[in-house]
Amino acid sequence: MSQTGKKLLAVFRSSIGRKLLTGVTGLALVVFLLEHLYSNLLYFSTDPDAYNENAHFLISLDLVYVLELGLLTFFVVHIIVGVSIYLRKRKARPDGYAKYQSAGKPSRQSLSSRTMIVTGLVLLAFLVIHIISFKYGPGIEEGFVVTIDGEPVRDLKRLLEEKFQHPAYAFGYPFVMILLGFHLRHGIWSAFQSLGAMNPRLTPVVYTLGGVLAVLIAVGFLVLPLWIFFST
Amino acid sequence: MEIAEPHVTERPERSRLKARVPAGRLQDKWDVYKNNAKLVNPANKRKHTIIIVGTGLAGASAAATLGGLGYNIKSLCIQDSARRAHSIAAQGGINAAKNYPNDGDTIWRLFYDTIKGGDYRSREGNVYRLAQISNNIIDQAVAQGVPFAREYGGLLDNRSFGGAQVSRTFYARGQTGQQLLLGAYQAMSHQIQEGRVEMLPRREMLELVVIDGRARGIVTRNLVTGELERHVGDAVLLCTGGYGNAYYLSTNAQNSNVTAAWRCHKRGAFFANPCFTQIHPTCIPVSGDYQSKLTLMSESLRNDGRVWVPKDTNDARPPSQIPEGERDYYLERRYPSFGNLVPRDVASRAAKAVTDEGLGVGETNLAVYLDFRDAIERLGRQAIEDRYGNLFEMYERITGDTPYEVPMRIFPAVHYTMGGLWVDYELMTTVPGLFVLGEANFSDHGANRLGASALMQGLADGYFVIPYTLGGYIAGAELGDVTIGHSTFADTERAAGERLRRLLDVKGGKTVAEFHRELGQIMWDHVGMSRNRDGLLQAAEAIRRLRDEYWQNVNVAGRNDTLNKNLEFAGRVGDFLELGEMMALDALHREESCGGHFREEHKTAEGEALRDDDDFAYVAAWEHTGDHARPQLHREDLEFEYVRPSTRSYK
Amino acid sequence: MTVHLRIWRQAGPDSPGRLAEYTVEDVNEHMSFLELLDVLNEKLITEGEEPIEFDNDCREGICGSCGLMVGGVAHGPQPRTAICQLHMRHFNDGDTIVVEPWRATAFPIIKDLVVDRSAFDRIMAAGGYVSVKTGGAPDANALPVTKEDADLAMDYASCIGCGACVAACPNSSASLFTASKIAHLAMLPQGTPERRRRVLNMVDQMEAEGFGDCSNHAECEAVCPKGISISAIALMRREYVRAVLSS
Repeated sequence: MSQTGKKLLAVFRSSIGRKLLTGVTGLALVVFLLEHLYSNLLYFSTDPDAYNENAHFLISLDLVYVLELGLLTFFVVHIIVGVSIYLRKRKARPDGYAKYQSAGKPSRQSLSSRTMIVTGLVLLAFLVIHIISFKYGPGIEEGFVVTIDGEPVRDLKRLLEEKFQHPAYAFGYPFVMILLGFHLRHGIWSAFQSLGAMNPRLTPVVYTLGGVLAVLIAVGFLVLPLWIFFST
Repeated sequence: MEIAEPHVTERPERSRLKARVPAGRLQDKWDVYKNNAKLVNPANKRKHTIIIVGTGLAGASAAATLGGLGYNIKSLCIQDSARRAHSIAAQGGINAAKNYPNDGDTIWRLFYDTIKGGDYRSREGNVYRLAQISNNIIDQAVAQGVPFAREYGGLLDNRSFGGAQVSRTFYARGQTGQQLLLGAYQAMSHQIQEGRVEMLPRREMLELVVIDGRARGIVTRNLVTGELERHVGDAVLLCTGGYGNAYYLSTNAQNSNVTAAWRCHKRGAFFANPCFTQIHPTCIPVSGDYQSKLTLMSESLRNDGRVWVPKDTNDARPPSQIPEGERDYYLERRYPSFGNLVPRDVASRAAKAVTDEGLGVGETNLAVYLDFRDAIERLGRQAIEDRYGNLFEMYERITGDTPYEVPMRIFPAVHYTMGGLWVDYELMTTVPGLFVLGEANFSDHGANRLGASALMQGLADGYFVIPYTLGGYIAGAELGDVTIGHSTFADTERAAGERLRRLLDVKGGKTVAEFHRELGQIMWDHVGMSRNRDGLLQAAEAIRRLRDEYWQNVNVAGRNDTLNKNLEFAGRVGDFLELGEMMALDALHREESCGGHFREEHKTAEGEALRDDDDFAYVAAWEHTGDHARPQLHREDLEFEYVRPSTRSYK
Repeated sequence: MTVHLRIWRQAGPDSPGRLAEYTVEDVNEHMSFLELLDVLNEKLITEGEEPIEFDNDCREGICGSCGLMVGGVAHGPQPRTAICQLHMRHFNDGDTIVVEPWRATAFPIIKDLVVDRSAFDRIMAAGGYVSVKTGGAPDANALPVTKEDADLAMDYASCIGCGACVAACPNSSASLFTASKIAHLAMLPQGTPERRRRVLNMVDQMEAEGFGDCSNHAECEAVCPKGISISAIALMRREYVRAVLSS
């Protein structure tokens, strides 16, 4: 293994390295989420084809496999490291306190910070279902087709509308998005702290902005299914 | 123990005690010593094991330095970590004659202030050496990364302290002791990592092992398992701090004790000037019987705080409503040139004087005000917060009052003991191979220690004195091979074990703390800020009775084979009960007032301390002569070649 | 006032423990919490029971010996206060207070409320110092340090090593303890030559002692008697990345 490779491996075996990795992958995933959110919100565009046009544009990118592979790597690394941090935590205090509570400010401990492993694992399960439903869901062969620029492409918009007719999807999705909001509430600011980017002045600002962003992302995602369910 | 009362004040025979201060000019003595000291070959140093008891400033700095030189160090402490030794609680600062402020300081002046502050009861040679070394300590600490306060220009800041008219005190907020101790602890940790220092925490030294007339080891109790352990070495360095807890309530930590020093005393080390106790003027007053300790408020507060009491004994108004004209700023009135910055002993006695007159304030009337109103008006609240913020916070936490608005209530409390095991210029006791460093020895502060000098002495001893003097001893002594299998080790260990068993077997009706509180009350009442013949005789008698009762009626809980703090304390209180009597005895024999030792029979018309240089310019070193025998007094005459003892005046 | 205490009793490292119930009457509001335990212990000794063991020493909040979970919070409810300086005026008559030792694999219980924190000493020995032998130091004013840096270094250096950060951390991480020393020395020119070795070795040792990872709950800062900021941890991470990239 190269010298650099060894170094990197050493970093990721250390507690600081693990957090760095969680932070970097987490922030990358937030960027992905923002892109995904943008794509979702195109549903509300005045141009009825905007949603499908965008989806088509994305999957026609030359580097789409590279992007997907990268995304997959980020997810896998984020999950593996997250679980290992949780397991180490369990090992570091096998017998808990009879009584325990947060001391309050300036602690950032919250329901969100304490449930990262739970919200994370639910999101993982969701992700699997989500990918099966949409990425590997019915396509052109099954009749979900629309013509964009004279070319037949997959009609994801219709797929979306049909899926969210089911109450399980229409309400399950928003529920998970609320959990995503919780995950991001701690996750976003925590990523910056893990990268060493924080100082006493920045922390409150980033913590607040992180919270706002978490809410925006969660709300942004959950309006779509609810809108579809209630408007059709 | 019987005190044949009339003999106590009888002139002792002229002493055989020799301090072995090198000849030559005062300024040259330490250089002369170093030039002539024998050296240990670097390759041989690791063959010598040095036992260091205690990890405060003196112990940790000695372990770090001697480990760095290549000796094989065994370091022990009673706390769970070396970093917790009580040096950590020193707040105010450390003196050095750097003269960075350019306000006229010199090594001579630091020497002179220290010897004058000690009321001419310390050795010129030692004190001069201390002043010389003071500057190296600051350099060393800064190199270790001790974050001393700095000015905007990036250089070190200084402040003034009691007993001096120059600003020579270096400080790290109100946590100077902590930062210096952590510096020494970190340096020692480095040596632990290097394998030169073996650190054994949670160990209490119970006995000194003397073989062929030399200190060759110690017996300790492992405080977790209760096991007795033997440690053998070529020299033993005692760095175990002071014995202020003889008074029960003091600013010392709960674990501070005299046991290690007292055990050494019983094995032949003379105990010098035991009655010289420093009562610190600015402590938070006692609030109830349950109280376990007194908290010091740094003396640096007197730089900006003004001490006062109401002029009228019946004035029950809150302080803010007492007009200027009805306040007595008694320190400024009595000592116009030093004002609120008089030395500690003077400030403490003045507080006692006003409270004795019934002018005290607070619930118990045993307090005086320390007021920051004027300083806040003059400098602004922010400036005061920068200087004393953490001290004010601490005060508020304990009392519930905020000193920004209400004057602090303060009262003197036992803080430091200038007395300790007698050592010569090399810091060696009357037992060859037993060295004593820091507060545990008696050497540099005479009858009163100036503020910010304890840190200086502890580190001077550990960093810069002992490396030279220990080398001289090791190189010069013929040390036979001794192992822990030696019969003396077995005998000494047996004695230590029997004492523990005896304590557990009494199963009497009074707790250790009850005895300790009773002893403390006797000490505070009669061997405290002001002493007289009758009181001291009474105290000696009362302590003797209490000690007899102790061994008949103490109730020590628990077992020996586990962590048992009650048993630890029982042993320590047993020793305080012996030491206390000797303190009274020493105070009784010293028919003069000097420094912290104030005999009511010896004062000026104005009530100031009256020294008797003709008869008492000596160190009183007491030799243990048996458990029920009167200790034998030895004298080390103090010769003043360079300073002329004068009446201390801070007026 | 009267307070009810539920205190962890454990005879030894391998013995099972339990919460035992005690009631103390006539509690004075000016008492410190440890003085309350003293009063209780005096009572227990008089009644022939074994007193409760707890570490304590200076009782003025600086030695770091004491440390108890009081009411579920490390060092009790008052911020920036070691338990020795918590006074009973912060409790109410009739309160029931749960008292437990620090709990962490790296801090094994010795007896009752006493734990073994020697892991901290080993982390310090791994690199928490400037390797300077005694003597030969340059003049203290030879190396200016800006007041801001010196003040910040002092903020970090004020750590008392009590272990509350570990005790309160949901992950039992020792990051604040380790980072405060790294940050203290990183702020000063004296700490610069060894900064890479220091952070790598101390972080490795922290890992080896079995502390958990830091998940940025910042609970440590909230219970720290000296209020040391978690920006120390951010700084440690920067130091770490820099050390890895440049070594």
